[in-house]
Amino acid sequence: MATEFAVVGKRLPRFEGNEKVTGEARYIADITLPGVIQGKILRSPYPHARILNIDTSRARRLPGVRGVVTAQDTLKRRWGAFQQDQPVLAIDKVRYVGEEVAAVAAVDEETALEALSLIDVEYEELPPVFDPEAAMEPDAPLVHEDKERNIAMRINVERGDVAQAFAHAHCVVEEAFQSTLHWHAAIETIGSVAHFSGGKLTLWMNTQTLFMARHRVAWAMGLREGDVRIIQSAVGGGFGGKSCDDNNAMVCALLAMKTGRPVRIINEREEEFLAGSRPRVPMKVYIKMGFRRDGLILAKELRIIADNGAYTGKAAGILSVAALRHDTCYKFENVKTDAYLVYTNKIPTGAFRGFGNPSIEFALEQALDMGAEKLGLDPVAVARLNAAEPGYVSPHGNRVGSCELKKCIDEAARLIGWEEKQKHKVLGRGLGVGCTAHVSGKRHFGDYDGGSALIKVNEDGKVYIWSGEGEIGQGTNTVLCQIAAEELGVPIEDVEISTADTDLTPYCHGAYASRLTYIAGNAVKAAAAEAKRQLLEVAGESLEANPQDLEIQGGRIYVQGAPEGRSTTVAEAAYSRLFRRGGAPIVGFGSFDPDSQLSDQNRYGNESGAYNFACQAAEVAVDTETGQVKVLSYVSVADCGTVVNPVGAEGQLEGSIAQGLGYALAEGLTMEEGRPLNPNFHDYKILTMADMPPFQRDFVPSYEPTGPFGAKGLGELGMDPVAAVIANAINDAVGVRITTLPITPEKVLKALREKGKTG
Amino acid sequence: MKRLITLTVNDQEYQLEVPAYRLLVDVLREDLELTGTKEGCGIGVCGACTVLLDGKLVSSCLTLAAKADGSRITTIEGLGKNGALHPLQRSFIEHGGFQCGFCTPGQIITAKALLDINHNPTEEEVKEWMSGNLCRCTGYYKILESILAVARA
Ligand code: FES
Ligand code: FES
Repeated sequence: MATEFAVVGKRLPRFEGNEKVTGEARYIADITLPGVIQGKILRSPYPHARILNIDTSRARRLPGVRGVVTAQDTLKRRWGAFQQDQPVLAIDKVRYVGEEVAAVAAVDEETALEALSLIDVEYEELPPVFDPEAAMEPDAPLVHEDKERNIAMRINVERGDVAQAFAHAHCVVEEAFQSTLHWHAAIETIGSVAHFSGGKLTLWMNTQTLFMARHRVAWAMGLREGDVRIIQSAVGGGFGGKSCDDNNAMVCALLAMKTGRPVRIINEREEEFLAGSRPRVPMKVYIKMGFRRDGLILAKELRIIADNGAYTGKAAGILSVAALRHDTCYKFENVKTDAYLVYTNKIPTGAFRGFGNPSIEFALEQALDMGAEKLGLDPVAVARLNAAEPGYVSPHGNRVGSCELKKCIDEAARLIGWEEKQKHKVLGRGLGVGCTAHVSGKRHFGDYDGGSALIKVNEDGKVYIWSGEGEIGQGTNTVLCQIAAEELGVPIEDVEISTADTDLTPYCHGAYASRLTYIAGNAVKAAAAEAKRQLLEVAGESLEANPQDLEIQGGRIYVQGAPEGRSTTVAEAAYSRLFRRGGAPIVGFGSFDPDSQLSDQNRYGNESGAYNFACQAAEVAVDTETGQVKVLSYVSVADCGTVVNPVGAEGQLEGSIAQGLGYALAEGLTMEEGRPLNPNFHDYKILTMADMPPFQRDFVPSYEPTGPFGAKGLGELGMDPVAAVIANAINDAVGVRITTLPITPEKVLKALREKGKTG
Repeated sequence: MKRLITLTVNDQEYQLEVPAYRLLVDVLREDLELTGTKEGCGIGVCGACTVLLDGKLVSSCLTLAAKADGSRITTIEGLGKNGALHPLQRSFIEHGGFQCGFCTPGQIITAKALLDINHNPTEEEVKEWMSGNLCRCTGYYKILESILAVARA
């Protein structure tokens, strides 16, 4: 199916390379406005306390202070992506350490900080609850008084006949797993600059979802959406953490509205850990899986207790992914899931690359490995036997279109040298494997998962795309330019793309759910097709040919199959369509909404227009003296349909591995009573260049018929199974199964000792 | 208490009056509007604020501006000559050595310091040298590739 493309599939350098290597790119902290003042936020020191009184009078009197706000200055509206439970500033009580209680704006940072120290808050401490399972006990303290047993949400579904399938199983495995908080740790923290003038609020944000931010800010501030304008700055890494689920922009907007001055708030690194980007949802997963003698999965039963933290944010969506999505990766028939999202007095959790998959796959992919081990089967063969195929419909209604998961498995096994290495085992070394399925967009908000774009062709032939999806470092702008260039038949150098700006571009959901290549790509392709239709219409006049018979290549327009014949150019066509009586510029609008479904009452429905797949394998060495795990090599093979930009696509898999290995082996903060002890990069260790193992990544040939030039999503796939792959390899190496994250040397040693005791 | 200091930044001399506690990163970013230098952690761990001070790498988030009095400083804006990019900058573009780009100025400055003293570093030397510069996007593979390509050229 894959044909030769002129621009798609080429190793093109990034669209915004120049400004990023020269330091010219303007990130949020680089944006200044005349007269801008500094905002700072006073945060709760307690995990759970009633606010008895807030006295801001001393702070207000400090010279240089322009405004002080508390909940009294807000509309006391609660907001949130799925459940509106989060206030802008704490109302009556605080629910986690770091929660926003009050804020000041002052002429400079020192004054603002001093003013914070002059705000007197009287608290009455309340008993907190940190463990979600304990929070579900009948006598547990309530984080929200109206949420019984602290349950924010429950998903309880059964498909097929699970009990009967277990009864027929030749082998059953059962285990409990626990995943952890995992912070995005983008090197740039969250920030905003707000200006309120003439009834219009303009916000510069480093967000990855501009229009959703607009919706939430407008609601919380009591403004019309059209009276809020969000302009995206350069974004220093998102990974889900910059999806406007936190209060940075809210407080910034509030201060700007109260003071009438432009206000800037940039999170300090400590604030980013306490109350900035919403870390990955930790899950306790009880899993039971039954297999046929040959390794075929017969039944699966899950009980998930997910830690919501103090407010819901995206965790509700994440729970449903954890509960249901993985059944798209392997062919399941009989599954039962009872999943709970539970409030605790900790930082609200939320969207982080993988969106529920990494937390659940840590359990699932290990259970599969345990089954293979118990049956004496090769885990690669078991994965292959169960792997999804084109045409597979998951028990929850996900309809698999293009799917080359089996090829991914074969290729991953080949690259890691699976067969050879299993034949010649080396003491203390082991291999692990794991797979994943991800979406290319997920339908939830307003039963719409579409995208749209505008393309104009300037009278000099230069093409300009208006898109509001937003570049966050993932390379989406380059991909969209390539797609437009391919469709229009113009050189890539002639294509440019806008900054995302809610006033200037059509509505776009933004960057999440690995949706942009597929959804925004299709929208841009449609817009380009419309612009092309307009170009060919004019060209048809000058070439005295039927527009349908024309084609464009390299910016030249000629009769199909006769590139040497009469021709005109895109520039000439655009010029002549405009400069004439009754002329008009070339502008194409394109829109795309995939053929997916909003899940029904029973959580049934095809959540995405296309599914992407991956298989990963690792070889590790475990030092039985120290418990140290060394990753000797890592392999990641993906099916993302057509690879639009290989450099960018490789980068997605490479970055995912670094985050995934950090999640597996290192990342975490020591918490004491709901309070991270050292919320900084000293204690929260992200991997460095010296930590990275030899890594091979590859893409199997694949073509998604509904994707732009066959492409589908990729951004999150590479993160999903990493922790499980490492855990499986450790088990293969030294025979211990690590069931909690991160996998520290201490845990490995402890497991080895226990194994020694029991023989 | 303010102090009068002289800094030569990217070959240009500046006289500035700064409070004793003012950090170099703030002087560069705010007073001189050289915002290419970034702040990621504020505690000397991430490398985003790295600049060259008399040829040596420093974290400008930990350096007092007053302490830098009389020194020569190179920031990302000082790389490249007459509008042409520095070979490292070209290489980062060509090999995809950045994604979000926020760590990139620090990565490039740090790599330059290495290549200034060691024209042909081994892969291991590069990894060791660069391990004070965090990147959350790339997994470092393409940063390494970008640097090695310049070293091998
Ligand atoms: S900001 Fe200076 S090292 Fe991180
Ligand atoms: S490119 Fe984003 S942090 Fe390095």
